[in-house]
Amino acid sequence: MSVAAASLARPRTGGRLLAGAFGVCAVVAAVAASTFTAQEAVPGIPMPGPVVEVGLPVVRVLLDLAAVAVVGLSLLPKLLGFDTPDRTEPILLRVRPLAVIAAWAWAICALLTIVFQTAELNPGVVPTFGMIAAYVGTVGTGQGLLFSAACALAAAGIGLMAVRFGEKVPAELRIIVALFGLLPIPVTGHAVDSVWHDPIMVSMEIHVMGSAAWTGGLIATVAFVGPHRDLLAVTLPKFSRLATLCLLLVGLSGLVTGLGTMALTPGVTLPDAIVTSHYGLLVVAKTALVAALVPLAAHIRFRLLPAIRTGRATALVGWAVAEVSVMGLAYGVAVALTRASIA
Amino acid sequence: MRRLLTVLLLACVAAVVVPPYAAQAHNVLVGSDPRDGATLTAAPERVTLVFDQAVRQGYAQIGITGADGSSWADGDAVVAAERVSVKLKPLPGGGAYVVGYRILSADGHPVTGKLTFTLAPAAAASPAPARATPDAAATPGTASAPEAVAASDAAGASGAAAEAAANGGAGMAVVWIVGALVLLAAGTAVALRRTPPPAPATPGTPPPTPTAPAAPDAASTTDPAAPGATDSTGAAEAGEGVRA
Repeated sequence: MSVAAASLARPRTGGRLLAGAFGVCAVVAAVAASTFTAQEAVPGIPMPGPVVEVGLPVVRVLLDLAAVAVVGLSLLPKLLGFDTPDRTEPILLRVRPLAVIAAWAWAICALLTIVFQTAELNPGVVPTFGMIAAYVGTVGTGQGLLFSAACALAAAGIGLMAVRFGEKVPAELRIIVALFGLLPIPVTGHAVDSVWHDPIMVSMEIHVMGSAAWTGGLIATVAFVGPHRDLLAVTLPKFSRLATLCLLLVGLSGLVTGLGTMALTPGVTLPDAIVTSHYGLLVVAKTALVAALVPLAAHIRFRLLPAIRTGRATALVGWAVAEVSVMGLAYGVAVALTRASIA
Repeated sequence: MRRLLTVLLLACVAAVVVPPYAAQAHNVLVGSDPRDGATLTAAPERVTLVFDQAVRQGYAQIGITGADGSSWADGDAVVAAERVSVKLKPLPGGGAYVVGYRILSADGHPVTGKLTFTLAPAAAASPAPARATPDAAATPGTASAPEAVAASDAAGASGAAAEAAANGGAGMAVVWIVGALVLLAAGTAVALRRTPPPAPATPGTPPPTPTAPAAPDAASTTDPAAPGATDSTGAAEAGEGVRA
């Protein structure tokens, strides 16, 4: 009896540990990196108050976390497969309502981000509805976030249908709607004024979608499938292939976007700007974090995976927590990166 | 796995096909009149900042601060394409001034910065157009004449109109969002009431929603009652959407 209780309690703490480590690392990194790169006060210009200075990165990183959760939880049915519903259905019964809640959180965070960004542009006053409407009406970032919120709500709606009708709602539809909601997110970041604008934007889209699929997939797989060794033996190899692809895409597209944006910004000379500008330093930090992910991911892929395939017990949760913490730090730095000054 | 890759590929194609709004980039200050660090012999009438591309209307601010913290900007900053300028009160000679600016970059980021200039002690107070050597990027003729101001105002107005036209109205989007919120809130309420909690599937965990007294009530209510019950939450969500 006590053994059964322990085996039931362990998955829950494992999942909470994963989600908690990811969330805490992301929020801490976002606030720290944003404080480090904050634009210094300029005489004669009113600057936004501390509530906005801290609140905006926090809301923005929570938006990312919720989006990652939605993408990961939407990927999970696909990774589990549809051949053994009697074993996968108990897991998915817990996953589907969580996906709906995460989608709601995503939408609310996107709308809150619009409010905070309006407040940032109108220092010293509480934004009114008129100011927010003006912001959304004139600034592409506001429209992008609004579109993202709409996609999140669509994901919530489809998630609700999945709660009601189960896997008759195609998993691919949920994945694509969640990924579609990520598309406008790069609009909130930097852009360059050149013929390379569109390739860099596409690279950015791949970066955002790849990192969401990688991070969300890892958390969802380990948290929900981790306790079921028989399912894990099938699911983790599938995820591992996806993760390898994501690692390559994310690393490559990140370097292309970061270096390309700096190279194409007037007044920035490249080798120097990497260490002198805030943007360059954050690119270096993210590159280091992705480099730190490689050995962690390789350990799971090459040391743990063979044992997991044969159904043996492994220290998967511990290694996954380490990997996910580094991912959280990278997500936090990313929030500061979208707002740091390039020159 | 192949279907999953297809989905990812489709999403990438969507990323290419759906252009993420317009080609809007990050503004960088490329020049100014007076230049950063310049020492002027005559008091300028305006301060003009030149960016590498058009600055967004409506959010630009320029402040000119003297060494004692006094403010010398006269009126609001005027945006004309990539130029942002502000009129100055007559500056007393023999002082250092800090020009601070905060503009909204074309890609939606606030960009702040500052530059300084010094006025020689013998400088005349207000007359005489600035003889400050304009920056290479700054064209002459921005620093004087009311018609120049009027022209830049007109350019600003048409610029705002063009910007609005390019971006499209936000009104319809808000209507759609609020409508979707109401529908979804209703759906959430109905679905969470109707579907049995996943407690039986995972024995040993407590049911997530302790709505035991409400359950028989919900079971006994017929279909027409359900929308009525969800209306209040829907209205609340709509209100939240409006506030946001």
